[in-house]
Amino acid sequence: MIRPDAPVLLEIHDLQARVEDQPILKGVSLTVRAGEIHAVMGRNGSGKSTLSKVLAGHPAYTVTGGTVHYLGEDLLSLEPELRARAGLFLGFQYPVEIPGVSNLEFLRVATNARRAGKGEEELDTFAFEDLVRERLQVVQMDPAFLERSVNEGFSGGEKKRNEILQMALLDPLVAVLDETDSGLDIDALRIVAGGVNHLAGPDNATLLITHYQRLLDVITPDYVHVMAAGRILRTGGKELALELEERGYDWVDAELAALERTPAEVL
Amino acid sequence: MVAASLSTPTAAAGAGPGGWIAALLATASGGADALAASRQRAAQALAQIPLPSRRDEAWRFTDLAPLTALNPTLLTPAPAAQPEVAAGSLRLHLDGRSDPLAGISLPAGVEPISGAELSETLGQVLAATGSADLWPVLLNGATARSVLALRVRGAVPTSLELVSDAGGGEGILSLRLLLLLEPGASVEVLQVHRSSGANLTSVVLEARLREGAVLRHGLLAPGDGAACLLATVAVEQATGSRYSGVSAHGGWALGRLEPRLVQREGAAHSALKALQLADGRQISDTHSQMVFAGPGGRLEQLHKAVADGHGRSVFNGAVQVPRLAQRTDAAQLSRNLLLSDRARIDTKPELEIVADDVRCAHGATVSRLQQDELFYLQSRGIAADQAARLLLRGFCEEVLQELPAAAAAWQPLVSLLGEEGR
Amino acid sequence: MASSATVGDLVSQPYKYGFVTDIETEKIAKGLDEDVVRLISAKKMEPAFLLDFRLRSFRQWLQMEEPDWASLGHPPIDYQEMIYYAAPKQQEKKASLDEVDPKLLETFEKLGIPLSEQKRLSNVAVDAVFDSVSIATTYREKLAEHGVIFCSISEAVKDHADLIETYLGTVVPGNDNYFAALNSAVFSDGSFVFIPKGVACPMELSTYFRINSGDTGQFERTLIVAEEGASVSYLEGCTAPMFDTNQLHAAVVELVALDDASIKYSTVQNWYAGDENGKGGIYNFVTKRGQCRGDRSHISWTQVETGSAITWKYPSCVLQGADSVGEFYSVALTNHRQQADTGTKMIHVGPRTRSTIVSKGISAGHSSNSYRGLVQLGPKAVGARNYSQCDSMLIGDQAAANTYPYIRSQQPDASIEHEASTCRISADQLFYLQSRGIAFEEAVSMMVSGFCRDVFNQLPMEFAAEADKLLALKLEGSVG
Repeated sequence: MIRPDAPVLLEIHDLQARVEDQPILKGVSLTVRAGEIHAVMGRNGSGKSTLSKVLAGHPAYTVTGGTVHYLGEDLLSLEPELRARAGLFLGFQYPVEIPGVSNLEFLRVATNARRAGKGEEELDTFAFEDLVRERLQVVQMDPAFLERSVNEGFSGGEKKRNEILQMALLDPLVAVLDETDSGLDIDALRIVAGGVNHLAGPDNATLLITHYQRLLDVITPDYVHVMAAGRILRTGGKELALELEERGYDWVDAELAALERTPAEVL
Repeated sequence: MVAASLSTPTAAAGAGPGGWIAALLATASGGADALAASRQRAAQALAQIPLPSRRDEAWRFTDLAPLTALNPTLLTPAPAAQPEVAAGSLRLHLDGRSDPLAGISLPAGVEPISGAELSETLGQVLAATGSADLWPVLLNGATARSVLALRVRGAVPTSLELVSDAGGGEGILSLRLLLLLEPGASVEVLQVHRSSGANLTSVVLEARLREGAVLRHGLLAPGDGAACLLATVAVEQATGSRYSGVSAHGGWALGRLEPRLVQREGAAHSALKALQLADGRQISDTHSQMVFAGPGGRLEQLHKAVADGHGRSVFNGAVQVPRLAQRTDAAQLSRNLLLSDRARIDTKPELEIVADDVRCAHGATVSRLQQDELFYLQSRGIAADQAARLLLRGFCEEVLQELPAAAAAWQPLVSLLGEEGR
Repeated sequence: MASSATVGDLVSQPYKYGFVTDIETEKIAKGLDEDVVRLISAKKMEPAFLLDFRLRSFRQWLQMEEPDWASLGHPPIDYQEMIYYAAPKQQEKKASLDEVDPKLLETFEKLGIPLSEQKRLSNVAVDAVFDSVSIATTYREKLAEHGVIFCSISEAVKDHADLIETYLGTVVPGNDNYFAALNSAVFSDGSFVFIPKGVACPMELSTYFRINSGDTGQFERTLIVAEEGASVSYLEGCTAPMFDTNQLHAAVVELVALDDASIKYSTVQNWYAGDENGKGGIYNFVTKRGQCRGDRSHISWTQVETGSAITWKYPSCVLQGADSVGEFYSVALTNHRQQADTGTKMIHVGPRTRSTIVSKGISAGHSSNSYRGLVQLGPKAVGARNYSQCDSMLIGDQAAANTYPYIRSQQPDASIEHEASTCRISADQLFYLQSRGIAFEEAVSMMVSGFCRDVFNQLPMEFAAEADKLLALKLEGSVG
């Protein structure tokens, strides 16, 4: 839902970042307002996953230029956990397995950390169990998953559902979902997308990082951005995604090549 | 505490065993061959140190008595009947004295090493793998009179069989082998060592694998009676090389195999599969050592042992992952079958790690044949003893079928298990 | 990047039990000879059989050599530079706690072990040992109502000499090993527990060991006997002040379980570990062994080892009785220059004996952490089973984790399974937890306690939280 007067949640300006010595992001700018759903599309290696990691503060990525403001504050100076507590959520493309740490305990600690961030009281064990059981329904997960270690031995679909469950518990203002559709069969995709739609509202925003149209068939974006070589090449409405689906990414290459030929000062 | 069981008091090495070494050195001294100088050095070193005893951690469970009961003299075995050579295979006969290459035309890509290069290279892999001072290596060094040294270039399709048969004679047969694989070379080498008499087969192989080289190595050693075997396989690997060692030994009064591998700069692949058998009053022993001296190395090791009768099986598998060996991936499994209540199994997988980003795992099991598997076969009408034989064969075959194809001619299963192998 | 260096910083937490209690102490002159052994025995007014035991052990110790097979390195220990008996100056053990020197009570209170009637831990009886002597034992009367004896070993020598003579030195003989022989010659105090036939001890028993003097060796001796059908859960805790020098702690613990008896022995060891350069700290050379003498008896060791400069310790079970069960659950955390060589021995003698080993080693800093264990199945151990699991967690690339399992079997109708693995706290796992709002320290602590959970679950309820807190304490701190 596009409302030009809605408050700006996330403001990315000319963001540049590298991993080790490899520059990946070469100047990304993007404004996200409350109520909006953005899709960032692009080929593997275009930098779209890097964008999500940089926003969440992954230590392997170094920001070399630009700014990111979240709720008007400098996001980049915050530790990853403070970003999460402030309501920025990253849904991982490959959720990490953490043997020995129980999913239930993990969810409870994380939920209470976020609640503290919102200035709310911690939930005790019982209140939390009630909450988690209710939210489990959003992603149609078996309560048995709560007893297992974090993501350990989960199938691809189960891991992604666990991500959306976390999203449901942490109540983010900006959710960045990195390739949430990858590795999902059609039923799992529907459940995950249903969860995302259920959680999207007028006060929060969603940034979908995806490679394919199929996720956008079930979650309708307000904006579609096409990334290539660390930049956003073009921005449009949901029809841009359909165009990509139809024409493939080759035209992106052509446009990129043209861009590379353009002297920098013209840009 | 552990100390109490770790250090079993032993009789001091008396004049007997020490005298055995002295007598052996006396018969082995002299000679003007290419190895004369190094032989003398080894003899001096050997004379300085006592025989390994059960006080030495590496020999705690391995009694040298069957060895020192042998006649301390050098043995040159008579030619023995051998199976036909398989197609695509070249057999070289090792008797410790005559030139195994006499009258042989080596396949393209394989050439002998001799002269100054040989004397310079010999021993380098032993040093690199920390094997030069091992007692069996010194014993070999003090007694070996010739060395088979080959260089391999490119992919050699012919597989090499290096064969010895100590036969029924008395004394010590000492064999020394050296393989240098140039970058990108690949070859298959099968060692076969047999014996049926009161003798020792002492063999030391050094193999250096340069970048990207591939060595598929097999060692099949069926012994019999009072025969003893001390085999050392030292392998030095450069990055991108692959060493795959498959060994099977059994039937020796004392049979000990020591594979010692080092990945000089890591980033190589090592695979060890072994089967050892101990029946009667035999001692079957493997002490393996894997050192990752650089990052990104891999090891897959499976060691299988069967102890029956009054037999004793010993396995010690050391894996060392120092600080610079980040991203090492090492897996070791020791599987042991204990078939008799008079037999013994001692197994000790060892891990020494000083690097955090590694995946190292080991496992060990000791049991008899699985009752549910036996029952399954019996429920299909197979008699209990036959079912047990089938399962035992299955246990062994997992390793034996990985031996180079040329091994088939030697009937590994029958040669190791006897009639039960049929 | 959340490098392992920052994780390493986390595990470097100042030791908070390093204070010294200023109290007048009676010490004998340093050095060790037969006269010193006689003097200790005389001071404790011991019966002849015990002096004999001490002297026999001492003479055997003289013939023995310090073991050197463990993965440990330390400068030679000068046994003549040590004091073998130190006791806070007060009269005979007090009948009432009110008469105990308030400084001592205060010391234990500071350590979290209140001894006074009002504050004492509910449902836990505590024997408090300060340097060489036991200063107080709580809840004795209540225990006595059930026939349970819980007192210092010195008192037991006086009041229950027959039991001591029957059991002392029968599990760990005076000549068992170098350090056990030394202990047998000079042991000062420790705890004695006797649970009579058919009695389930109504409360947790606990001994708290405090080394206070800088130049004193600590040689306690603990003996726990559970008669037929009896059961007990016992916990020991230990701390020491920070000194630049190393103190030797060479304890001996003997457990005897008769038919159907059950002993659960838990240790939370937090001796001073030395500073980050390896200066100071306790040398902990301890012999702990339990004998499952009776059929269906059960001995379980649980240890959380976080302190000491050097730990040399292998709590073991001799499984003699048919169907007896031995267990070993261990967490060993080493940091800085700490060295630990620890594990267990499970000696299966009787038929259908079973043992379980779960060892979790955490190595950080420049420390060295070795698991060394023996599983031995004798020819009569028909139907015996062992399962061992040894996991190592490495923090940083300067710490060593070694695994040396010795597996020996002479019994075909039995099974042994051993598994070992290594893991680390990966940057990806930390980032995942952080990205859910969990702070770095808490993320590390969650993962470490997740790694240790199988062991913590074995601790008695009252102490599980303590252990978790202790590890958390070692893991707490500022992040760079």
